[in-house]
Amino acid sequence: MEQTLMDKLTILADSAKYDVACTSSGASRTARPGTVGSCYAPGCCHAFTADGRCVSLLKVLMTNCCSFDCGYCVNRRSNDIPRATFAPRELAELTMEFYRRNYIEGLFLSSAVLGTPDYTTERMLAVLRLLRGEYRFGGYIHAKAIPGTSPELLQQLGYLADRLSVNVELPSERSLNLLAPDKGRHSIFRPMKQIAVSGAASREELTLYRHAPKFAPAGQSTQMIVGASPETDYHILKLTEGMYHKYGLKRVFYSAYIPVAEDTRLPALDTKPPLLREHRLYQADWLLRFYQFEADEILDKDNPNFNPYLDPKCNWAVQHYGLFPVDVNRAPFEMLLRVPGIGPKSARRIWHARKQAALGLDELKRMGVVLKRAQYFITCRGFSGAHPGRGSAGRERITRALIDPNVFSGSCEQLSLFSPPAVDNLIGQGVPPRTAVRMVREEAVQCLAKAL
Amino acid sequence: MSCQGAVNPKGARKLHDADVVYLYDGSFEGFLCCVYESFAQHELPFAVWTPQRETATLYPVKDIATDPAVARRVFASFGKKLGAETEYLVSRDFLSGQEDKELLLLRFLHLAFALGPGTVKREGHPVVAPLYAMKKSLDWEVDKFQGFVRFEEHDGMLGAVIHPKNYILPLLRPHFCGRFPEEDFMIYDAVHQAVLLHEGHSTRLLELAAPLELPPPSAREQQFQALWTQFYKTLEIKARHNEKGRMTHCPKRFWADMVELQGEL
Repeated sequence: MEQTLMDKLTILADSAKYDVACTSSGASRTARPGTVGSCYAPGCCHAFTADGRCVSLLKVLMTNCCSFDCGYCVNRRSNDIPRATFAPRELAELTMEFYRRNYIEGLFLSSAVLGTPDYTTERMLAVLRLLRGEYRFGGYIHAKAIPGTSPELLQQLGYLADRLSVNVELPSERSLNLLAPDKGRHSIFRPMKQIAVSGAASREELTLYRHAPKFAPAGQSTQMIVGASPETDYHILKLTEGMYHKYGLKRVFYSAYIPVAEDTRLPALDTKPPLLREHRLYQADWLLRFYQFEADEILDKDNPNFNPYLDPKCNWAVQHYGLFPVDVNRAPFEMLLRVPGIGPKSARRIWHARKQAALGLDELKRMGVVLKRAQYFITCRGFSGAHPGRGSAGRERITRALIDPNVFSGSCEQLSLFSPPAVDNLIGQGVPPRTAVRMVREEAVQCLAKAL
Repeated sequence: MSCQGAVNPKGARKLHDADVVYLYDGSFEGFLCCVYESFAQHELPFAVWTPQRETATLYPVKDIATDPAVARRVFASFGKKLGAETEYLVSRDFLSGQEDKELLLLRFLHLAFALGPGTVKREGHPVVAPLYAMKKSLDWEVDKFQGFVRFEEHDGMLGAVIHPKNYILPLLRPHFCGRFPEEDFMIYDAVHQAVLLHEGHSTRLLELAAPLELPPPSAREQQFQALWTQFYKTLEIKARHNEKGRMTHCPKRFWADMVELQGEL
């Protein structure tokens, strides 16, 4: 039976949706006369799905017919699902029509491995050439490098796309060998290195010749699955930091593993996706990129996993309580960034405003500092730091102010998305949800206060 | 140096709260003339109104005539005496839909001319902070509408309807004109009765007298709308359903103009 465009779009969007990266940031250009489409450096979200994720690009697979058999993936060879393949012109036309109606910012093109990696990449290249050549499309294109593609084809892909990505998939070689036997460590890191080197060379050329072709101007990103294999958070964070430094990655994405297959090597099908862990990883990732933290400051060998009840920044501040309080009118910028309740934006505002006049609590509040948390860590004009009180009562008060509200929020019927495992265990034993949340919360406060 | 006292440097005539209402035509030039009047009289009016916002009042109403020469003179002084950053902030904030924006801007300008070009950096100051709050809400809405505008094709012309709180068409203009230079398109702001029209490589911003009605979509158009809606629905991962998350990023007031969400309203 002939598949309609609607069927293909449904099947191939459904197969692509587990790819987390959907950003359109990093490239900036306006359309020249005769072309269609521009790029907006901060990126642009065109819709939000019912799970609260941004839709920025037309995220589809070229095909979901795969010759690989990776355990964690819906599209693996042994899975019985409907299969479809886009014809290059069909996909290019759909992209243009969606783009003209301002539905999307561009195209996110990935693919299952149809035949060989090289053949698959050729087909992707055909779409990109149609778009950039015949349709004169200047919008954003994110292309996925298929592991095992030859360097020549990857090079061509880089000159047509704005961003390239190679998925690390699993955080260690052992897990990779176990769950994705067709992909080796080498087939992932070789293209990543090639993209980094070619990107740097292209940037250098651009300083010499203004019209030199740009190789992936929005850089590269990667993603890995969290919770399908036994690695610790420390291991994942070190790997992330290494990739930021070594390959100059723009972003690392994490996706909480959602069981899609019955497999003895994987968590059982009824496992809840570890959303809290994913959330903590993103928080730590932000600390690496915007708060001048290093992975070893956030976690270490003795504490290899995140504290479920405190965000990583508060956790660091609590463990280095001796460095506080700092004077916001004098502290260096790096130290301002480390105060719980002050983010990069408010730190920058403070930095500018304090040159004009000394800041007091009211000013800080109006600048967007979260005083509930910050008050125990700062002094400013007319304020010498909040005194929580002496002894255990005081420690408890600080802990209550710092504890992550996201974990314990939510109404009595619906728990927070990030509810910690301890709450789920109690509910499993028959405790009503509200009581369970309160019990875990109290226990966490006592425990953290003791450690302070 | 105290922040409050600095508004009245020694020897200057004292700025006072006047029991008077300014009435101007709603244009930026008209507002600049209000600024001139306020500085000339050393007074802060009780309120600044446009004809649309005029209501019965016991205070005397002062009609401020729009004089382009005065407006130019006032505007030039912003850049010259207060710096480019202040000029940008004031002209951007004027597009805000907030009721008392003129008064907030006036208060700020009195402070800024007293303290100098650094005033704009004092984001925590009680007079300066509201301007940044307005800018934040404006920027947020511009950012959202750059993504949420949905065009429909009618005989080769792309048309979209939006319902923004602020008057953002002038701020959407560079984005959409830089994106679709070859297309003919129009964006209709149904709240402020204005249209951004891009036709044959030239762009105009028009004020409308009567509301505009777009014709119903053609069969081809409906087909693309169906494809897009289907794509949008397919993307959700059911195991991560998070209605609240969607609502924070895309509040319901946008939904009526977004084709994929009209069915869920």
